[in-house]
Amino acid sequence: MKRYLGIAAAVATTALVLSGCSGGGGESDGTTIKVAYSKFGNFTQMDDHMKAVKEQYEAANEGMTVELVPIEALEADYFTKLALMNQSAATAPDVMYEDTFKVKSDAEAGYILPLDEYIDEWDDWEQFPDNAREAGAGDDGKIYGVPMGTDTRAIWYNKQLLADAGLTVPWEPKSWQDILDAAEAVKQKNPETIPFNIYSGKGQSEGASMQGFQMLLSGTEDTLYNSDEKKWVTGSQGFIDSLQFITDVYQGDLGPTPQQALDKNVGTTINSEWIPQNKLAMSLDGSWVSGTWLETGTTPWPEWNDVMGVAAMPTQDGQGAGRTSMSGGWTLAMGAKTKNADAAWDFIETALDKDNSLDYDVAASQIAVRTDVGTDPAYIESNPTFEFFSELVKDTHFRPATSDYSKISNEITVAMEAVMTGQQTPEEAAKAYDTAITGIVGDDNVTTKSD
Amino acid sequence: MTTVTTPAPVGGAERSPNRNRPGEKKRRTLVALARSAPLLPAVLLLAVFLFGPVVSSLYGSLTNASLSGSTATNVEFVGVKNYVDLFSDPDFPKAVLLTVVFLVASAILGQNVVGLGLSVLMQSANGVVRGVVRTIVVTAWVLPEIVASFAAYAFFHDGGTLNEMLGVFGIQGPNWLYTFPMFAVILANVWRGTAFSMLVYTAALNDVPPEITEAAEVDGATGWQRFRLVTVPMIRRSISTNLMLTTLQTLSVFALIFVMTGGGPGTDSTTLPLLAYQEAFKFGELGFGTAIATILLLVGALFSVFYIRALKPEVD
Amino acid sequence: MTAPVLEKPPSRAAEAGSRLSMASPNRRMMKGLSNGVIAIVGFAFLLPMVWLVLASVDTSATLSVKWPETFSLDNFTAILTPERSLIPLLNSTLLSGGCAILTVVASLLAAYPLSRYKMRVNKPFLYGVLFGTCLPITAMMVPVYSLFVAFNLIDSVGGTILFLAATSLPMAIWMMKNFMDSVPVSLEEAAWTDGASAMTTLRTIVVPLMRPGIGVVFIFVFIQTWGNFFIPFVLLLSPDKQPAAVSIFSFFGQYGAVAYGQLAAFSLLYSVPVLALYVLVTRLGGGSFALAGAVKG
Repeated sequence: MKRYLGIAAAVATTALVLSGCSGGGGESDGTTIKVAYSKFGNFTQMDDHMKAVKEQYEAANEGMTVELVPIEALEADYFTKLALMNQSAATAPDVMYEDTFKVKSDAEAGYILPLDEYIDEWDDWEQFPDNAREAGAGDDGKIYGVPMGTDTRAIWYNKQLLADAGLTVPWEPKSWQDILDAAEAVKQKNPETIPFNIYSGKGQSEGASMQGFQMLLSGTEDTLYNSDEKKWVTGSQGFIDSLQFITDVYQGDLGPTPQQALDKNVGTTINSEWIPQNKLAMSLDGSWVSGTWLETGTTPWPEWNDVMGVAAMPTQDGQGAGRTSMSGGWTLAMGAKTKNADAAWDFIETALDKDNSLDYDVAASQIAVRTDVGTDPAYIESNPTFEFFSELVKDTHFRPATSDYSKISNEITVAMEAVMTGQQTPEEAAKAYDTAITGIVGDDNVTTKSD
Repeated sequence: MTTVTTPAPVGGAERSPNRNRPGEKKRRTLVALARSAPLLPAVLLLAVFLFGPVVSSLYGSLTNASLSGSTATNVEFVGVKNYVDLFSDPDFPKAVLLTVVFLVASAILGQNVVGLGLSVLMQSANGVVRGVVRTIVVTAWVLPEIVASFAAYAFFHDGGTLNEMLGVFGIQGPNWLYTFPMFAVILANVWRGTAFSMLVYTAALNDVPPEITEAAEVDGATGWQRFRLVTVPMIRRSISTNLMLTTLQTLSVFALIFVMTGGGPGTDSTTLPLLAYQEAFKFGELGFGTAIATILLLVGALFSVFYIRALKPEVD
Repeated sequence: MTAPVLEKPPSRAAEAGSRLSMASPNRRMMKGLSNGVIAIVGFAFLLPMVWLVLASVDTSATLSVKWPETFSLDNFTAILTPERSLIPLLNSTLLSGGCAILTVVASLLAAYPLSRYKMRVNKPFLYGVLFGTCLPITAMMVPVYSLFVAFNLIDSVGGTILFLAATSLPMAIWMMKNFMDSVPVSLEEAAWTDGASAMTTLRTIVVPLMRPGIGVVFIFVFIQTWGNFFIPFVLLLSPDKQPAAVSIFSFFGQYGAVAYGQLAAFSLLYSVPVLALYVLVTRLGGGSFALAGAVKG
């Protein structure tokens, strides 16, 4: 038995040692480009797009092959799988579909390469507005990802329900108060209807943080993060005001009950049940929502464009540009372990030229980032609301997605939940948030000055 | 007739008459090796694929490894910092409490009691009823986890089966997943796992000779007394082992709770596996997540030691 | 004499009970009560599955349980394409079957010394190995992934089967050992005195008597592996090697929208093979399936 223990130990040690050194010697000898991306559910557009680009690229580059690696998984799992792949040279992709949300932390981890030297020579880069360029930027200011498309957020509203409540349609709120007044009016007219939805609470996680809270905060004088000093903002009035708005909606019966809102799957319920059944008058949601109601969506609703209107989210008192939005979106990034950076860049360039970007954005209901695509008639005509949502790109904001961002975002949802359930006042919740994030990033990384 | 090379009966070589002969130790070692040879394939698989990663991840809990960000490539040894952070995390004590509650209510009380109860009742039940119910109960167990999780979610959901049924009786059911999340997930886990206990206890009860219980009855013992004083001690070993197995399985339940409540509202149903998922997955903090998993392991070990001590399955 | 069998048809205890029931009204009431309680419990267990069935035949299914406006099999036809369900189910069968076979063989071999030769390391080995599997795979994913990269086993179905078997071994060894314990050594001793080796007696005497038990272990491992999502997800890259447990997520749309009708239909499809296997093993085992002797400790 002892001998066996000895052998077992030897084998295990060998295994440990081997696992330490990542084998190296992958199949990519410089003539194969590995492209990893996401594919699931009815999101097959990226797959179609990549297949088309693969053909174009191989035709234009004799001797080069493209190996497509679609990863069938939902978001969190996709990020995990990609991170695992990136850790070993044998499996690391040359080009990957990278969420803007992950760019900064992946750059820090050394998974992706800066693209500045290629971008400087690329004429098409002119077509990308300044704030969109930021989306693919790392903490060091270098560009790590080229945006493929994005999304913006605004208020979807039921034209009939608002008209019945005495509001003028098309509806164009100019301040937060306008929204609250409209919600009151709807409730007066019909107490059964849910006047206004804004995602909130821990259960909705990033949805609450981005579609809910940051849509509000970005319309105030304050910001979440001071990008000059690279510090997180605490104690801002804008933060408290935003929490107050949430309180007004949830504690004032102007929205769903906290119970309904905290259900994990409420997003599906809202877009496939409440809205088509005229039970919800207004909803702060994203540009992709109409995708649910198309023929190819999960709940086809042919009359959606007649029933629904869209209005931009106003800033707090109508200051500044008067409107605000938040954007996420995906980019194409270059793997740090690539053996042929030039070839990888050629692929990216091909995938994101005007025609390919146009095809992809239309197919995937993405909001165009490139100005030339956004003004192209084929794009505008593909979905009645696209022109509107594209217009918002110039006033949109991106999240400060540093590697601490997800924990900070989590604290935002905790604060939101505390006020929507009435457990804390906005001031108390804001203080708790300040303490929490100081604990996460340290005293040196917080400031009271907004950008 | 009896040659040295045949496998000796159980009892080992200690009583061999050749105990003190020279070379005996070597022979015994060789014999022991030969006898253990069949263990080799299993040991090899376990050593290569499990032992290494388990040790490696236990070590990982002492680092600040993460999936992304700077600590993905520059991993630092941080000693017990993860554990210290864990114990001072306000969510942690609650997670431990919820895990223990979940464990006791759904595995120990729920699955074992219902399983035992079912198998006892089935002994005096009609054959058809027995067969049908057994199949239904086992189906719940055999359903793939994600499917069962969704079915349970749809059941407890505000507009789901449970509230619809209560509505038939005029009762307005609450939003179970919001107001009583632990209750809902406990019931769901009992639904899921009772089959295993039921099958184990059915087999165990079948091995109890009826003469003893009959004798007890003749002596005037009531049904309950017979059960408590005769039957239970006889199936003691099965109870102990089943408790241990269901405990270990229940401790790692994740998908069921995650799909039904996501750990919410707030952290009201965040058990340790969900906490580990949040840290390791959502935030990519592998070191921290592994520390939580290690604690889970310890909880399981503690319970098992308790079962073995309390029920003394060795002594028969 | 107590050979391990799948549950003996109504045990002697039950026979005695029912004989007495003819004699006394009390017993008949007990029987009626038992039937009643069991039936209620069975009904309770059936309820959550109602939604699954209803949603699968409803093209506009939602999470709320409702009678479909129009019964239709569209959900099923929509999913019965090779890519969406047939290939993943095939992959699942391959992975689960391969893993179960390998596990049964390895655990059978391993259980023999553990059962026949009382060595001091038996209990510690069993317990230790059982606890090792307590550690969730999510905590181990990075070292496992690196290990597989080092062995060049990433995206290899064979490699994944090996790993799945390794994780199923502890429970399997435990169960096998217990089944084997119920086969008396005396049966083998006779053969040993005639000069047979241990492996021979294992093959010719022990295994045939353990057949129901082997069936139990096989199906147990198969079921566990059938539902395993994470391991194939981490270790396999090509989408055409992914099993159904992974591809079920293809029914979740982007931004969280879920096609519930199709999800329910797929779930039913996904569950049928394991249910069928359970019924099959039960029939072959000659009676209802029970973990007889599997768990004694």
